[in-house]
Amino acid sequence: MTEFNAIGPLAVLFGAVFTNNILLTNYLGMCSFLSVSREVDSAAGLGAAVVFVMALANALNWPIHYYVLVPLGLEYLGFIVYIIVIAGTVQLVEMVVERVSERLYNALGIFLPLITVNCAVFGAVLFMFIRKYDFAASLAYGFGGGLGWALAILAMAGIRQKIAKAPLPKGLEGPGITLIAAGIMALAFMGFSGMIRSS
Amino acid sequence: MGTLGAFLIAVGAISAIAAILAAALMIADATIGDYGEVKLSINGGERELAARGGQSLLSTLKEEGIFIPSACGGRGSCGLCKLKIESGAGEISPTESPWLDEAERAAGIRLSCQVKVKRDMVLRIPQELFSIRQYETRVLSIRDLTYDIKEVTLGLVDPPEMDIVAGKFVQFVAPAYGNSPDPVYRAYSIASSPSRKSEIQLEIRLVPEGICTTYVFTRLKAGDKVTINGPYGDFYLRDGERDIVFIAGGSGMAPIRSMLLDMAEKGIDRKATYFFGARAMRDLFLVDEMRELERRLPNFRFVPALSSPAPEDDWKGEKGIVTEVLDRHFDSLAGHEAYLCGSPGMIDASIKTLKGKGMPEDRIFYDKFA
Amino acid sequence: MKESARLKEIRSRMAPGAITLHGFLGTDRRSLQEIIAEDEALFARLGLSRESIAARMRELADQGGSGLGEPVAVPPHFEVRVDSERGKLPCPFGDKGGIRKTVVTVLNKRLGRSLSYSELGLHMLEAHGFLEGRGSPFRLEPAELAEILEIGAGK
Repeated sequence: MTEFNAIGPLAVLFGAVFTNNILLTNYLGMCSFLSVSREVDSAAGLGAAVVFVMALANALNWPIHYYVLVPLGLEYLGFIVYIIVIAGTVQLVEMVVERVSERLYNALGIFLPLITVNCAVFGAVLFMFIRKYDFAASLAYGFGGGLGWALAILAMAGIRQKIAKAPLPKGLEGPGITLIAAGIMALAFMGFSGMIRSS
Repeated sequence: MGTLGAFLIAVGAISAIAAILAAALMIADATIGDYGEVKLSINGGERELAARGGQSLLSTLKEEGIFIPSACGGRGSCGLCKLKIESGAGEISPTESPWLDEAERAAGIRLSCQVKVKRDMVLRIPQELFSIRQYETRVLSIRDLTYDIKEVTLGLVDPPEMDIVAGKFVQFVAPAYGNSPDPVYRAYSIASSPSRKSEIQLEIRLVPEGICTTYVFTRLKAGDKVTINGPYGDFYLRDGERDIVFIAGGSGMAPIRSMLLDMAEKGIDRKATYFFGARAMRDLFLVDEMRELERRLPNFRFVPALSSPAPEDDWKGEKGIVTEVLDRHFDSLAGHEAYLCGSPGMIDASIKTLKGKGMPEDRIFYDKFA
Repeated sequence: MKESARLKEIRSRMAPGAITLHGFLGTDRRSLQEIIAEDEALFARLGLSRESIAARMRELADQGGSGLGEPVAVPPHFEVRVDSERGKLPCPFGDKGGIRKTVVTVLNKRLGRSLSYSELGLHMLEAHGFLEGRGSPFRLEPAELAEILEIGAGK
């Protein structure tokens, strides 16, 4: 069996939100981040959905990888399998949410199909294998990664709502200023590095 | 292990994973997505329906033969399908909120095409909606009334007869065609007499950018099958002896014509004046029929009013906007009742003029589907 | 840029046959946000806000409404005609339903030019800054609006 990284889940969680923020440090999940970060309400809905899906994706893909793919020597099929699993489970989650809570469905149900192909979700899955997290750490990473992504998009939505009335140069409106702001946020988050001894 | 073996294991593993997920989704669809049977209690238990959950309330009721008015086929874009739901409706969805104001929300009024039937519900449906049916019809004839209004005569096939009250309207279903990918529902008043139970006539005016009217003007021909449902509306001639003022222009003539034919057939000879507002002579139509009705109903007068007659019209009749002409004709309308049909602008202006002549607002009737 | 699910839904309501015969996007392939943003920029360059333009359009519509389809003279040198049809339309952005089918035609007698706009078009401008896509038969150009309706900066 593989040698797992000895890091504890709490450290991973904290790291995923601040020092290893999947959006601001690894720059994954930018497309929906750029398009849905205009208002705080939809950003919150999307953020919540990403937390959900990322945690679920990690929770499911970890056992499939270590108990099915590795013993059969099929690691090379990993990419295809992870995506199939993510897509399938998101569908299921959507159905369950719709049935169980209308309020929740109205808030984030419509975002679920959108993040199936969000590269941050897929990235989180790959990172958990690259960094050899054990199951607890993987779960923490999925949850924390989603939280970090949500934190970034909420902050960005707040910023964009504030600068909506600002006199920007025409060329910078929209994606231009958003990316610049994202870059500055990333610089700010770099200040957290070294806080936790993690991978 | 051999390459074939590795290949088979790889394919097998992926197929197995995909199959498990697909199976899970199918099971979920059948269980979670299946809301089972629910009970709909209508009008305090007067009618109880057992229906399959999972669809919109509008569709569910339609399947049970109860037609709620809808001009958009349940897509949430017309706001006509409002119903009072006392319990079981769930949260108001974002697609409903633009159509419901505070008072409606407090009263439990919802858009039935956006409410999904998931559990038992208690609701109120206005009585007149129970007599609405869907009819398969065939176009018997299409005749030009003016350059932009056509009279379409539909023969009822199944069911073969409709109980009509003059003033009601039907929903006409224009099928998907050309640029329009989905069927579209539009309301048109019935222009024919209620005594003709197996056919109905509609007056349809070409509306710029209109999906349905473009279909009628460019594609519809005699012999075509048309689906309609109805009859709807609470616009009808009230019993009584009061003198009547009719105001309608263009295709708004339809329900008035139906009422006048009904009056002529039943010998209801109340004093009535019909102000037909139009721009020029080319917008006038069925004048001969109106004159014929004047003969059959001695107390009825047809007053066409042209607001901008063309020089070649050589118009000797009333000139001006219909509200001005109305104003000139009467000093007081305190004892009259009025029936209006036309655009919201015309109706608002007419109501103002009528009230100015002393007509109480509860005696002014108009079809609110405009 | 990828559009969110909500924008896709709005786009589908703007397609031909969904609400009107020709839809609201014409042959424009840009995203909704781009169309709106670029028109905002055009307004800014003219020194006008969408509020001031919409207010003027509404003012003219109200004054022309009394004609019931007949042209009404509006000082200093306009003629406004308001035509209405029965029925109501929803806004494709999904925020408002029951918008009346009214078309306002404004003739600027001094310039000899006219333009038309609908109640729905006016709502979309007021509430969303949307003037329809390029190639749509009912697209309103900011420059034309300003010129024909004589909405000057500072007026």
